[in-house]
Parts: sequence; C-alpha cells; structure tokens
Amino acid sequence: MAQLTKRGLIAAVVCSDQFMKLGTAQAKVFGVPDLPLLRIPHPLGGLGMEKVRERADVALPQLFKVIREQRK
Amino acid sequence: MKELADLLKRPGALVECDDDPEAVFELLVEKGWSDGLPVIPPTPERVGRMLAYCDRDPGEPVVKIPPRYGAATPLRVAANAVMAGCRPEHFPLVLLALEAMAEEPYNLYGTQATTHPCTPLLIFNGPIARELNINCGHNVMGNYFRPNAVIGRAVRLALVNIGAAIPGTGDMATHGTPAKFTYCISENEAQSPWEPLHVELGFPQEATTVTVVAGEGPHNINDHESLTPEGILTMCAGTIATTGSNNAYYRGQPVLAFGPEHAATVASRGMTKREVKQWLYEHATIPLSKFSKEGIERRFRRKQADEFADAALDTPIHMWKTPEDLIVIVTGGAGKHSAYIPTFGNTRAVTRALKHRDGRSVKSIQELKTR
Repeated sequence: MAQLTKRGLIAAVVCSDQFMKLGTAQAKVFGVPDLPLLRIPHPLGGLGMEKVRERADVALPQLFKVIREQRK
Repeated sequence: MKELADLLKRPGALVECDDDPEAVFELLVEKGWSDGLPVIPPTPERVGRMLAYCDRDPGEPVVKIPPRYGAATPLRVAANAVMAGCRPEHFPLVLLALEAMAEEPYNLYGTQATTHPCTPLLIFNGPIARELNINCGHNVMGNYFRPNAVIGRAVRLALVNIGAAIPGTGDMATHGTPAKFTYCISENEAQSPWEPLHVELGFPQEATTVTVVAGEGPHNINDHESLTPEGILTMCAGTIATTGSNNAYYRGQPVLAFGPEHAATVASRGMTKREVKQWLYEHATIPLSKFSKEGIERRFRRKQADEFADAALDTPIHMWKTPEDLIVIVTGGAGKHSAYIPTFGNTRAVTRALKHRDGRSVKSIQELKTR
C-alpha cells in the first residue's frame, strides 16, 4: 500500500482495533504517515460471513470518504 | 571508519544515569529497552570492548531489523550484547545470527510481527561452537549455560531494541513463548550417528555455522519403551502431527532434535537421515477429517483448492512439503527424550557460515580479534 500511495494512487489499509498501533507505526516506517487506515472492530480472522459483512459495512464508508477527499 | 567516540557524540547516542545497577535497570525498563530482566549497563567502555571482535565500521548498518527497520550497526548490536551479558568473543555470532535472519526467506518481518509464538532458534554447528562452549548436552534448551543464555538473549534484545518488536505494537504475539528470552543451542556432533546439519547442507566440516529457524518452544517426545527405529519414529510422528500446528497449514521446515539415545536407536540398523525424513514425511500425517468442519472448508477446500477442493476426508495432511524440508539434528544429554520444534510455517531456515571479510572460514574466534 505504501508503494501504491507513493505512485499517487488512492490506497488504504483495513486494520482492526488491536492492530491500529502496528498499522500507524508501519505507515511511518514506510514513509507514508498519512496512509489511511480503515478501522474495523477486532477480530477479522475466524468470522462467519455475516460478521465479515458487518466489518465491510464499517470499512466501506471510511473508504468512500478517503476516495472523496483524495479526489478533491 | 568512524571511531566509537565520534559515534557517541551523535544526538541520543548517550544517556546519563546514576552509576548504580538498579538505577540503570530502572532507566532501561522505563525507556522500553529491555526484556524485563536486569542487564549489564552498556557503558561506552564495555561497548568498546565488545567491538574488539568486529572488523566492521561500528556505525555502518549490518542489517535492518523490522518492523521499525532499525539500522543494526555494530555499535547498537554491541550495546545489546553487553546488556545481555555477552563476552566480546560471543559478539561475532550475534552479528552472524542477525545477518542470517535478515535474509529474505526467513521472513523476519512476518516472524517479528505475527500473533504466532515463534522466535529465532539459533542452531550452531562447527568448531567455534565447541571453542565457545555453547552447550549441546544436558538441558541444552534450558537454563544455566552462559553462551546459550547470552547469545540468544543478545539477539532477542536487538530484535526488540533495534527492530521495535514491542509487544502490542510491533510484536503482536497472542501468548509468545518463554523462548523469547533466549533460544540458542548447538548440535551434539560428537554423539550424532549422522553427518552434522552444516555438512548435510554442503558446508565444510571445519566451518562454523548458524542456522536460524523461526520456531515455537520445544515440544517433548518421551519414549522409554521403543527398541527399534520404527518404534521411536512412531512416537515422534504422533507428537509432530497435531492439528493446531502452523506446519499443518503453511508447511515450512520444522526441527526434530533427537536426543543422542533416541538417535542411536533410530540409526541402529543403518537408517540414514534422509531415510528418517522420508519415513516421517509419510507417517507424520493428519487425516483431513481430524480438522474442524470450518477448518476443512475454509483452510483446505477454499484456500488450498488446487489440492483439497474435492479431497476425501481420509486424505493425509503432511506437516512439511517435501521430505527433505524436515530439519533433523542431534542434541542434548542422556535420557530417552527428543524435542520437536514446529515453526511459523511461512518462513525458511537460513544457514550462514562465519567467515573473514575475504571469504575465508574462521577456524578460531581469536582470528577475529582486532585489538
């Protein structure tokens, strides 16, 4: 994602609550401190499809917001 | 080459503290530069002495350690080696292990940041392992022996302090493992019926090597009854083939560390290491039916559809991809026990030889003393 961002593409990373610190730190390490992190409730692993859809419902509005803001 | 005194003038290179071990320990814990146990204070004098066995520029990175991708310069690694309790003679092996881990197949980023309880197991082979008395006998994976304790600990401190493998931020292990304090052994070459690991891998007998494996802690294999190779190997296969192991999904290169007595029984009828690996590849398997329904559907039928989409429930799941992927060593003291070390799975073991900068093998650690 860092490489895509550096090439000027709109990119974001889905990140669960518990992994936000790692995601934030890694974005800085890879030179893209403003890389959007789409925050979803933990966990993402070990979920049935219904819960996966719930996570998508949380992530998608954040993604649309990122796209709208970066297109301006 | 920059001198140590110049490097220490850089901002942040030096911190001041009362000349008292407790005060130093408190400061390091407060800054997060610790494994939670007391350390030797890394004063400039001690770090300088540690660098006596290093002919590199102390300020030039040897490797970068993820997830921070911090520059592991000899200076920084030496400070960690002092903290761990290393003697200067141990320092080249600490650097060697870090270089091996930084090779791409090891997947240092993944092994540092994962939720899985893996940590680098350092397996030393060759004459310098003996010269430095790295234990390969009783309690080889336990406490008491300084070289094993401090070399492994120095590597772990570097992974935390330079690489930022900080629990909850850069090291996301759910439970971790006590092996994260130190995990350093050597092979008991004298009591092995087979060629040592480094020779098997094509290194000369006189080479000293480290093999780094992203392993779990050791799982014991107790067998006081079997009298035949097949008997011992049957017990090993039962310990290896477990559904919760990463190796059941990602394969990789787990380690079977035979105790010398088990090894002698297994080799008693002429079985070679290659034949041991083949036998275990065929017998250390789990029928697909032993996994949960969801595991069968999601992990096997969907994620590995090429192989398992329509596989019968009695299909054997192998614990590594090809027979030779199992790493077999002999280590430990007397007794009817062996140890099995599952791995992160998505990682390959890396072996590196200790060499002079011109490529010659190092025959004695004293050859590396620069002053």
